[in-house]
Amino acid sequence: MNEQANLIDISDLGLSEEELFSHVASDTLAAEKITAPRYSYWHSVFRVFFRKKINIVILALLALIILFAFIYPMFTNYDRFAHVLTEGGKHLSPEKALELHAGDNPIHWILGSGGAGESTFDAIWVGSRISLSLAFVCALINMVIGTVLGAVWGFSKKFDIVMQEVYNIIGNVPYILLISVIVMILSASFWSLVFALTITGWLAIAYFIRTQVIIIRDREYNLASRCLGTSTLRIAMKNIMPFMVSIIVTIAATEIPSYISYEVFLSYIGLTMSDISLGKLIGTAQPSMFTPGMQLEFWAPVAIASIITIVLYVVGQNLGDASDPRTHM
Amino acid sequence: MTKYLLRRLLHGLISVIIVVGVVMMLVYSLTDREKIFGSDPMFSKKTSNIRETYKYEQWELYGYIDYVTYNEYLLQLVRNGDITETQRSAAVEIAPTAPKTTAGGKQVVSPFSEDDSAAASEMIHRFVEHYTAKGYTVVRLNADYYSKRTKKLNNGGKQVLFTYKDVPLIFRLFSYFGHIFTVDNIHYVSEETDIGERKLTFTLHDPAYTDPDTGKSPFSPAIIGNGTRHRYLLYTDNRFPFIHQHLLNISMGTSFSVNKGVDVFDTMTLTQGKYVKSLITYPTGLTELSADDLHSAVYIEGSRELSETISSRFDSDYSNVSTIKASKSKIGFSFVIGIISVALAYLLAVPLGILMARQKDKLIDKIGTLYIIFIIAVPSLAYIFMFQAIGRSLGLPSIMNVNAESWKMYILPIVSLALPSVAELMKWLRRYMIDQMNSDYVRFARSGGLSEGEIFTKHIFKNAAIPIVHGIPASILGALIGAIITERVYLVPGAGNLLTNAINANDNGVIVGLTLFYALLSIISMILGDILMAAVDPRISFSSGKAR
Repeated sequence: MNEQANLIDISDLGLSEEELFSHVASDTLAAEKITAPRYSYWHSVFRVFFRKKINIVILALLALIILFAFIYPMFTNYDRFAHVLTEGGKHLSPEKALELHAGDNPIHWILGSGGAGESTFDAIWVGSRISLSLAFVCALINMVIGTVLGAVWGFSKKFDIVMQEVYNIIGNVPYILLISVIVMILSASFWSLVFALTITGWLAIAYFIRTQVIIIRDREYNLASRCLGTSTLRIAMKNIMPFMVSIIVTIAATEIPSYISYEVFLSYIGLTMSDISLGKLIGTAQPSMFTPGMQLEFWAPVAIASIITIVLYVVGQNLGDASDPRTHM
Repeated sequence: MTKYLLRRLLHGLISVIIVVGVVMMLVYSLTDREKIFGSDPMFSKKTSNIRETYKYEQWELYGYIDYVTYNEYLLQLVRNGDITETQRSAAVEIAPTAPKTTAGGKQVVSPFSEDDSAAASEMIHRFVEHYTAKGYTVVRLNADYYSKRTKKLNNGGKQVLFTYKDVPLIFRLFSYFGHIFTVDNIHYVSEETDIGERKLTFTLHDPAYTDPDTGKSPFSPAIIGNGTRHRYLLYTDNRFPFIHQHLLNISMGTSFSVNKGVDVFDTMTLTQGKYVKSLITYPTGLTELSADDLHSAVYIEGSRELSETISSRFDSDYSNVSTIKASKSKIGFSFVIGIISVALAYLLAVPLGILMARQKDKLIDKIGTLYIIFIIAVPSLAYIFMFQAIGRSLGLPSIMNVNAESWKMYILPIVSLALPSVAELMKWLRRYMIDQMNSDYVRFARSGGLSEGEIFTKHIFKNAAIPIVHGIPASILGALIGAIITERVYLVPGAGNLLTNAINANDNGVIVGLTLFYALLSIISMILGDILMAAVDPRISFSSGKAR
């Protein structure tokens, strides 16, 4: 009885018959539509990436490093031998350096001074700029060549036979020898080192991409796609590329820091650039590693090189994880 | 299987030959050949024309060029009977100066001079004609006068005439591979030298072990040659592997600057450190306290006439001996450090990797991942220095000393090599195990009531370890190569720095020899890795591609 009382009488609403009831025609086009939330690939990548709070911290650290490495040296006009004639200005600990250069901006001297009386702090950032530029340029060149050739290598069987041989042979030519010969022929400049590191450096990336392409190339959905008459280029661009993005980002994440490490290694064994790099700083300061009061000259560039490589690696790895569509759920 | 592996080995060897060819092109053709004299003390002592000819002589010795002097050409003609000795001596003296001509935009001395005697002029024409036809370049250098008026020459400034031609790469490659293995034979010593009967003698009582008091030798079989390069072709002693031979000799490339005249193979394998002296009875009967290894005696013609010490010790020209030293060879040091660190790395990484996979996303996994990131991202130089600093503060010796060996000095190099490879192994093992964890067979095993421990060690690990097993031969053989940074930082007298030293000193013979060594090791370890993988996993087979 109560239920009946709760019912509303339509006529009380004061609406016309047409407003209340109207005929809806069946729409075949709308029936075909599948409603799903809007999906944008790159939007999702950044959403997943920034979901982890640690990434924001690391990204901020990376921004700070880049700021110091690329902007700070513009204002300091670093000259290694600017203070070479300053009496008692060489190999100073921070306290003594700050005392000696009391009138100067103290930021230059917070890490003491080096073998030519230069500021260790300034030297580190000039070195970082060169090392970072080298790493970015080499990684960019190698990634572009490696990815394109690796994709072709994975698709073409004829190319595969040739490239396997090339890979076996080049892989066995000592890398240090190749670099030193090129540096010897050209010069010890920045660009000749880039050339030396990229002339065969793309090969390993191409090989890795090739293997990935071969794995995905023969998956069922690509087989189906091919049966339906999709062109190879379209399969490569639409079916395989999305899979490769996260792989490419992950490779880049290991590539960029590895060039910084490799440059440090090359400087240590005597293959130095003419420009100041982190590796060169570490190499020249090596004798002061255990000398009391001079340790910072050595350990400061080591620490900066380590921080830069770790930050780049972690950012890259997490970006690689985020660019994998399977994490976008 | 065997057929497949043999084919791969052959294929690998061809790649090795091409690799050596590429490296030869890099070091011989592309680098500046003047640079090999950078650290040569003999070169800096020489001046004027002698310095020029010294360069060509050395280039010939190290395989860059074929070099013939005018004198050598005349001597050759005399030997062939084309001219007589008197004709030669009439023609041998060339005029001090010849006019300059322009060839290829450069001012060079013409090979012909109007001041040459008639006999010389005729022979010079023959010389130039003969060699230019073969593609050689003729060079004549005028006398270098200290003073024109007194006709006094600068030191080494005598006029010279010679010809040279670059050795083509293919020829160099073939002659290199043709000379890697040489079998010592009784025709080694020049046939013109009278050294008595050329023969091989087998003895049961090696004269090198003759007791100075009794004059007798204990039982020690040996093969002694006369006319061969080595005196002892086979002998026994108390050092591993107890039986040694000089019958088949390996020459991988002679050093020019790092270790002048010594083959790379010997540089790597000869003992180092303090001399081990013992009472030695020399062939002449002289007994002396010395470190000489009589078994290593090599023939050097006319050596006894040069030095009284040698003639008092040796009764033949087999007088060039090496010495016995107390410590390991370069390869020995690298291998001992390398092999222990490889073993340590696998012992640590396998349980840790399993633990990380089992405790996925828990504390242990996170700590392990942090460590892996540290090792991958931080420059290897940086963490090796860190290990050194930490070890130093713990009181461990931070550098190696060959003359005062103790087991403690091995700790830091071994740890520095092992810890990075632990990270690398852990990374892959964890990845492979986690990939396997979601497989159907694991769920099946779990539903069958197996304990987690059993599932991990017996099922998942077995499958995850297969790709890890593939790398074991490579890491063991890699220990022979040595590690560049570790050995430099801890001053290990190992083989790791040979290549970088050779590159810095432009030591081409060593570079080529080491490339061959590295390439061979890499080919062999790849094949061994495949064999081992097939042995561990019965599903893998290298038999011909037919489906079973």
